Amino acid sequence: MSKQISRLVIVGGGTAGWLSAGVIAAEHAISKAGDQQENHFQLTLIESPDIKTIGVGEGTWPSMRTTLKKMGLSETDFIRECSASFKQGTEFAGWTTGENDNYTHPFTAPQGYSETNLAPHWQALQEGRPRFDQAVSPQSVLFDDSRAPKQISTPEYACAVNYGYHLDAAKFAEFLRKHCVEKLGVKHVKSNVIAVNSAENGDISSIETDSSGTIEGDLFIDCSGSRALLLGEHYNVPLRSKKQYLFNDTALAVQVPYANPDDPIASCTLSTAQSAGWIWDIGLPSRRGTGHVYSSAHNSEDKATAELLSYIERTAGAQAAADAEPRKINFDPGHRAEFWHKNCVAVGMSAGFIEPLEASALILVELSANMIAEQLPANREMMDIVAKRFNHKFLYRWDRIIDFLKLHYILNRRQDQYWRDHLDPSTIPESLQELIAMWKYQGPWHRDTNHTDEMFPSASFQYVLYGMNFETQPSTTTRRSDRVGREAAADLFQKNAKQRQQLQAAMPTNRELINKISTYGLQKI
Amino acid sequence: MSKYSLLSQSEHAKLRVITERSAAYGDNLMYAMTFPLEFRNIESCYPIFFAKDGESGQFYPLALFGFQRDENLYLNGSHWDATYMPLMVERNPFLIGFQQSPDIDNGEKRPVVSINVESPRVTEVETEAKSEALFTDSGEPSEYLQKSMENLQTIHRGHEQNKTFIAALLENDLLEGFNLDITLMDGSNNRLEGFYTINEEKLAGLEPETLGKLHEQGFLQAIYMVVASFSNVSGLIAKKNASLD
Repeated sequence: MSKQISRLVIVGGGTAGWLSAGVIAAEHAISKAGDQQENHFQLTLIESPDIKTIGVGEGTWPSMRTTLKKMGLSETDFIRECSASFKQGTEFAGWTTGENDNYTHPFTAPQGYSETNLAPHWQALQEGRPRFDQAVSPQSVLFDDSRAPKQISTPEYACAVNYGYHLDAAKFAEFLRKHCVEKLGVKHVKSNVIAVNSAENGDISSIETDSSGTIEGDLFIDCSGSRALLLGEHYNVPLRSKKQYLFNDTALAVQVPYANPDDPIASCTLSTAQSAGWIWDIGLPSRRGTGHVYSSAHNSEDKATAELLSYIERTAGAQAAADAEPRKINFDPGHRAEFWHKNCVAVGMSAGFIEPLEASALILVELSANMIAEQLPANREMMDIVAKRFNHKFLYRWDRIIDFLKLHYILNRRQDQYWRDHLDPSTIPESLQELIAMWKYQGPWHRDTNHTDEMFPSASFQYVLYGMNFETQPSTTTRRSDRVGREAAADLFQKNAKQRQQLQAAMPTNRELINKISTYGLQKI
Repeated sequence: MSKYSLLSQSEHAKLRVITERSAAYGDNLMYAMTFPLEFRNIESCYPIFFAKDGESGQFYPLALFGFQRDENLYLNGSHWDATYMPLMVERNPFLIGFQQSPDIDNGEKRPVVSINVESPRVTEVETEAKSEALFTDSGEPSEYLQKSMENLQTIHRGHEQNKTFIAALLENDLLEGFNLDITLMDGSNNRLEGFYTINEEKLAGLEPETLGKLHEQGFLQAIYMVVASFSNVSGLIAKKNASLD
């Protein structure tokens, strides 16, 4: 009989490691010492006491709410301990022309989206129409004065409008560690990996550590960061660079204090285009996290630093800019040729890394850990099948991420070389070129969804396309279905405008709500 | 219309409080907060539910008087049609607050009484409606004021009691949200939303040890009075139906 899979070993203890541990242990009960059960299941996480975590992923998708809830975590504890706030989408400034243009990609789909496509009706509106996201979704009204997606009486993880989080990555890893070790039974080994031992069939048999001996396992999860200790260094699975599509390969990150402790906390990630990249701006209750991600082929470090400091000066004052000491991170945008090889699967930066434009880092960790937890192979024989499925699914997902990120760049009318280079068809994946060609005549809609668990729904494509004033030609035939649609659309536009007013009146600011949560906490029901 | 000022004989010697009940005096209440210490009386007249405070999201128990905003089915002109008046209704126009006092060193706060001088109940002249003076001619607190201040003390204890009561309910998952769908005699369907009640299934499943602890805290009886008070809903529906005639 083939060997049972019952001992999981995670190498690396950043957010990827602890999030994976939590997701897996929330699904598979870990056997306690002395348990006489037939099925023993163990999960060990090896964390180097000497390596600092990178912690660049500070924005999540709404899925994080489900992930935390499944792990049995209280949202109140999470918000208090991880310096977390609510993220309701992203605002893009300067991406179209660079002259005071902006649009948003909120987490809530357009009104009536399951049945009615408002996009063509919005396009048919006259000059002076509201911005696409404002016309079809109520959410972005909350961005204007930094309002929250819920009230203090809304139960934990429930919402008035959809949201994810902005969080302090270092605190988040520590928060997850505590829960994994104290509540879920994950074994925490604080040692350095000194060798990887192989079995005859090429599997990893065990990890040799400097202070905790040999740790055996049946499945090894590589969360060691971009170094990819197991998948990269041990198995030599190559990294496939995607720099030909997405040029950004350098980030300058810096934390910025608020001028006043009760300054507003932004409701969305603010992404501001620069001459050869863009600046992210994430508001936490305690500070802001900003950074400039750019293409080193198009920009010098000095100029990129100057652009970042000028942004900080503009948004936080001269003193904050003078105090800022940006930390430089180099990365090769791309992903491994495969993610699950033999009995080793990479999760997090070991699997790949790309600019944080749509916060794809943490969501990929969640999706990977979920699939590992759901499809955990019963035995070694099964593992190769699961590995194949896993690789197939995540190669597809990376391609979709690259398509979606690239879409943000190819509708610009900016003059800088970097932005012009993005328009060159040789830098655009063929799959995206086809989509764009099609969207000229029929805009994104449910039919574009190939998989039930597609990462980006067609609504996301709509927000970016029409946010950047993309033109879809009106239908050349008179569609009978459209007549009903026109009346329904008018109602939906009106409903949306009303909801915007209601939300604006009812929702507290993020700062007010965070303060109340720290005083009273959120109710579980 | 609320402007609370600290009650003082010098400032408020002439004030009178109208004690009659009427919508004009703000008695058109859909519900009012209540406390376990008065549940026995409340339960004999009103359904007890729970709601969340809009400012803090914290739960509190309430006595229900109507099915929609501003509807008090117990209020009949100037008459309140029940044998017991909830403390939080009775207390108007007074409020109990707390003040750091210079003569108390240990950081404890001294309870102080305030009066809503803009309440329609507060008057300086004798009115047709029945009213009570706050102070006697010699400047002593009137019997009415003394009684009101006693009530405020009870309310203060009630607030403290609610905190531990709610904590005990939440700790044992005993609260659940519910919707009440009511079909009235005129055929209209009405839904009561946003309230919470005791989860009887969870209550029935409590371990003896937990029951013992709740009993010790004096909350077991309170919980069962909430459960029993549900039968008052039918009385409330009857009042509503009668109001449709």
